[in-house]
Amino acid sequence: MVSHPGSLAQQEARFGWKTVAPSLLLIALLIVYPVAYNLYLSFFEVKLSGQNEFVGFNNYIDLLADRAFYDSLTVTVIYVVGSTLGTTLLGLGVASLMNHKFPLRGLVRGLVLLPYIAPLISEVFAWQFIFDPVNGIYNHMTVEVLGISDERVNLIGTPGNALLVVIIFDIWKNFPFAYLMILSRLQSINNDLYEAATLDGANRWQRFWNITLPELRFVVGAIVMLRFIWNINKFDEVFLLAPNVKTLPIYTYFTAFTGTIEQGLAAAIAVVQFLLLIGLIFLYIRRVLKW
Amino acid sequence: MRKIIIILLAASLLWIWQGSVIMAKTNISFWTTETQSERMKTIQLILDTFEALNDDIQVKLVPVDENDLPTQMAAASAAGNIPEVVEMGSELAVAFGSEGIMDFGAHEAVINDIGRGEFFKGALQLTTSPAGQAYALPYHGWVQGIWYRADWFKEAGLAPPNTWYNILKAARHFNNPAKNQYGILIGTKPEGFAEQVFTQFAISNGAQEFDANGNLVFNSDAMRETLEYYKELQKYTPPGPQTWRARDYYLQGKMAMFFYSTYIMDDLSLAEVAKGSLTGENFEGLGGVGFDANLVKNTKMVSSFKNTQDSSYGVIVTLGITKASDSSKTDAAKRLVRYLYEEDAYVTFLHMAPGGMNPVLRSMAQSDKFMNDPKGIFKHYGKDKIAEIIGGLDHLQKFEIVEGKMFPASGEIFAQKIIPQMIYKTIFEGVSSQAAMNEAEAEMIKIINK
Repeated sequence: MVSHPGSLAQQEARFGWKTVAPSLLLIALLIVYPVAYNLYLSFFEVKLSGQNEFVGFNNYIDLLADRAFYDSLTVTVIYVVGSTLGTTLLGLGVASLMNHKFPLRGLVRGLVLLPYIAPLISEVFAWQFIFDPVNGIYNHMTVEVLGISDERVNLIGTPGNALLVVIIFDIWKNFPFAYLMILSRLQSINNDLYEAATLDGANRWQRFWNITLPELRFVVGAIVMLRFIWNINKFDEVFLLAPNVKTLPIYTYFTAFTGTIEQGLAAAIAVVQFLLLIGLIFLYIRRVLKW
Repeated sequence: MRKIIIILLAASLLWIWQGSVIMAKTNISFWTTETQSERMKTIQLILDTFEALNDDIQVKLVPVDENDLPTQMAAASAAGNIPEVVEMGSELAVAFGSEGIMDFGAHEAVINDIGRGEFFKGALQLTTSPAGQAYALPYHGWVQGIWYRADWFKEAGLAPPNTWYNILKAARHFNNPAKNQYGILIGTKPEGFAEQVFTQFAISNGAQEFDANGNLVFNSDAMRETLEYYKELQKYTPPGPQTWRARDYYLQGKMAMFFYSTYIMDDLSLAEVAKGSLTGENFEGLGGVGFDANLVKNTKMVSSFKNTQDSSYGVIVTLGITKASDSSKTDAAKRLVRYLYEEDAYVTFLHMAPGGMNPVLRSMAQSDKFMNDPKGIFKHYGKDKIAEIIGGLDHLQKFEIVEGKMFPASGEIFAQKIIPQMIYKTIFEGVSSQAAMNEAEAEMIKIINK
């Protein structure tokens, strides 16, 4: 049998390309093209009539001189760090609890998932109703029943509090995701490790610190990274609950579609956000996860 | 083989022909800002009737929230599929008209067909460009006013809220957050409602966006005074940014005054209807919570108030036909719009919100069919009150019209929510009145120079 040594490998490679081609095409169409088009738009002054005017780096220069952009950046950082930390820690705590045996554990485990699976819009309406300054139960409880405060507040509407509310909402809504991933990892940790540690005289805390946490390292790392990406790009939750919290996506939306409609500038904000995200993920993988 | 080919060919020709017969129906879409499901049903009924009478036209009804309309139109025009017919406030019609989206010729044709003299002059003025072209057709309108608890005012010995002084005095008097009761509702969320309320205050203080020569005179002492006054008044509204939805607090007896259009007439009398069904033996436990049967009797409205001059505000809702690439679509749109002014269709449309939707055609305002609304709401208020409200549509004051001249840039300024943003910034983000006004002025200049 005479055969070219590379041919089989080549054939396989060709076959490989053929199999991934549909996905590549889809990715190109739905992801690469919009990203590239957005990049292209960011160098133009976009007119609704369609006659765009090339302005070079002007949009970026305008952006870097805009105080509102830095405000939005700060809000985004607080929002992302707060919500990512919150969801992960709460998820870790709840998962550790649920890993113990207790009556009706199955039911409770299921109920914990509710905020994550319930439709966002109904949750947002429920929250808005809870925090309504005049008729909401929150103000009724704090002012009239418990007397903690003597003033009714519009917790969601007031810009100062709104950010906090949005962070808490995100933690409440998304911690089940962290919980679910951590719990499944916890269940696969070999029990022998704990038994051996117990024999060596390790207490509860030492076992958690020296066995559980290192075992969870990658799963927690992945959660943090995913939440980080999702929350930097998060639009729906923030916009529906409190559009006055101007994270970068919300700021982009307002720039693109309200006031003096500036879609070129909005495209530039999106590009900056994209670069920022890539940079941070790269750093995170290298420095924190050491992959 | 040849036979098969011939048969196939014939079949495909037949298919194409059939397709073209179906295709011959002209499809147009109609965007409406009446998004409530009941109103959608009524409009759909009107459209179904229209389609039955015109079997070559198919109309698709699309509900769009008032506040999203500029965004949606921008997106639709970028995507090349703007609707043929749009129901929208006159400000937006002017804004879209200035952007070159609307078909002035089509509007003129329908107006002339109905008869120019049939329309209220004031309504027509709001939709006519400086060059005398029609941005859209006025369709129905409402008047804004301060609705107030006449019984509370009487008990407290306060004068009706018809001057800046009286309004502020009453707002202070009735505001009692400890009892969860508030003085007044004005718009502070960055939405259209805030501008509607603010405009009436500004005009009552002689503040305008443009002077009669078309110069931007927004950044004036009178305007700053208005903004300061507005900030002061905001202290007596329910906490945080508020919009028209907070009128519920009034219906619950927790507020003394609120700005609203005549649309509320419906809700006020319906509260009475609701009380009838929700209390008594049917639902003993409820005891009429949230519904005050006497509210409609105890509520009065001031549609015009003053500081340095009288000011009345209202909105004309219009029907606009957009420029279409295809003349058959324009023709279909014209026929639809013309049909919507036919007595049966028009009255059915207006009766969706008695009091809120008032006719802009003289003959219709006097028609018995119109006065006899199915819910009997007009009877509550009496023929005179209704006539007064409809008459108000003839002399509305708005930023777009200065000394009878029309300034289209004002519509664009409205569409882009510049004034509501200014109000929000100065009240909730700690920006000083002057700084917020400077910022707003800069945005307005950008629009004018575009």
